Amino acid sequence: MYLVANISVEICASKSCKLCTQYCPEANTIQYSETMGTDKGFKYGTAYIAVDRCKGCALCVWVCDTLAKNNAIKMTMIDQLPMAAVTDNIRYEEKTTVAVLSNPMIVIGN
Amino acid sequence: MSLDYVKFSGGFEKFMPKEYRDMVEHGPFGKKISVSQMGSFKEILEEHPMCAGCAMTLFIRLAIIAFPNPEDTITVGTAGCGRLAISQAAIPFVYGNYGDQNGVASGLSRGLRLRFGDKPKDVVVMAGDGGTADIGFQQVLHSWFRKERFTTIMLDNEVYGNTGGQESGMTNRGAVLKMAPLGKKFEKMDMLQMAKVAGCAYVATVVPNNPRRVESVIKKAVLIAREVGSTYIQAYTSCNIEYAIPTDKVMEDAKTVENDRYQFTEYVSDEAKQYLTERYGYKDYLPKAAAPAAAIPTQA
Repeated sequence: MYLVANISVEICASKSCKLCTQYCPEANTIQYSETMGTDKGFKYGTAYIAVDRCKGCALCVWVCDTLAKNNAIKMTMIDQLPMAAVTDNIRYEEKTTVAVLSNPMIVIGN
Repeated sequence: MSLDYVKFSGGFEKFMPKEYRDMVEHGPFGKKISVSQMGSFKEILEEHPMCAGCAMTLFIRLAIIAFPNPEDTITVGTAGCGRLAISQAAIPFVYGNYGDQNGVASGLSRGLRLRFGDKPKDVVVMAGDGGTADIGFQQVLHSWFRKERFTTIMLDNEVYGNTGGQESGMTNRGAVLKMAPLGKKFEKMDMLQMAKVAGCAYVATVVPNNPRRVESVIKKAVLIAREVGSTYIQAYTSCNIEYAIPTDKVMEDAKTVENDRYQFTEYVSDEAKQYLTERYGYKDYLPKAAAPAAAIPTQA
């Protein structure tokens, strides 16, 4: 098993600084969705990880903890994530994205 | 070399992979995109084989987002880590022999001007410190002396990272590396002064821990290169493998190095200032507010 980043929607959607999206070295890995935060009753949208693209460098953890001081991102073993976004289930809209969350072990295991 | 190549061939749409469909339908081609929108659109750069946590990749990602007209841009590269990512972008990429990237870009940029006239077609060279300051040094300097109109970006990781850690001209004096165990005996080359001596219209240093600054610097360099002359950007993009930087500390290292020896500097020639102001409406260089632009002394 290996580590991937995991963003806490509760913290992220109440701050919405979007810094992690600008610092990830991988393209289209940390995505941002307006609806995935507001649908759950939070003030803003949330960032989320396309776990099939994440290389586990934890650069975003440093950015979230030190630059943004939000402590919303933790590294988690991929089999410990019950639900996560993967590239195939991400849909792009006009100015946002929407992901259908699924069990990453089943999707990536294929 | 136009929006025409960013579309599906008739009848093939349903057979294309999801990433390609997203690129055509939600990519940045033909739109104005900035780093503040990252995470909400399909990027030109795709998955690549660069190491986890590589600052060079982050810089390349930001640079590609910053291109003013990605559909009218060609990137040129040479051997080195950077080409592993640059070649994974939906922008034509020319891979020359080692060190000839500025020679290739000179011909390419002249040819595009002959073929397309005034329609802007941008050529951007992205090569490592070895390709730019050591092996390609002669062609780089000559292209600047000839005032060839394209942008040269040095991805300065201060080591030959792709071949096991040999010292390069841009390595700092005294640095001990895997393939330079006695430490480097000479100073780091001052490419910034050389760029100014050679007559570059725009010279800047940048570190990727400030994405908005990277965006602004790349945009200016590409726009100035359309008409005024050569432009040069030197970017500190640490090698976390050869310099043994833990991946989660890469940005901390970038910040330390920025404060220590890689402060943001920007030199814009008078002609380039006038061009940016008149043609693209930049307000920074109007007579009253000229001070911030002259961060590098111009005595070169």
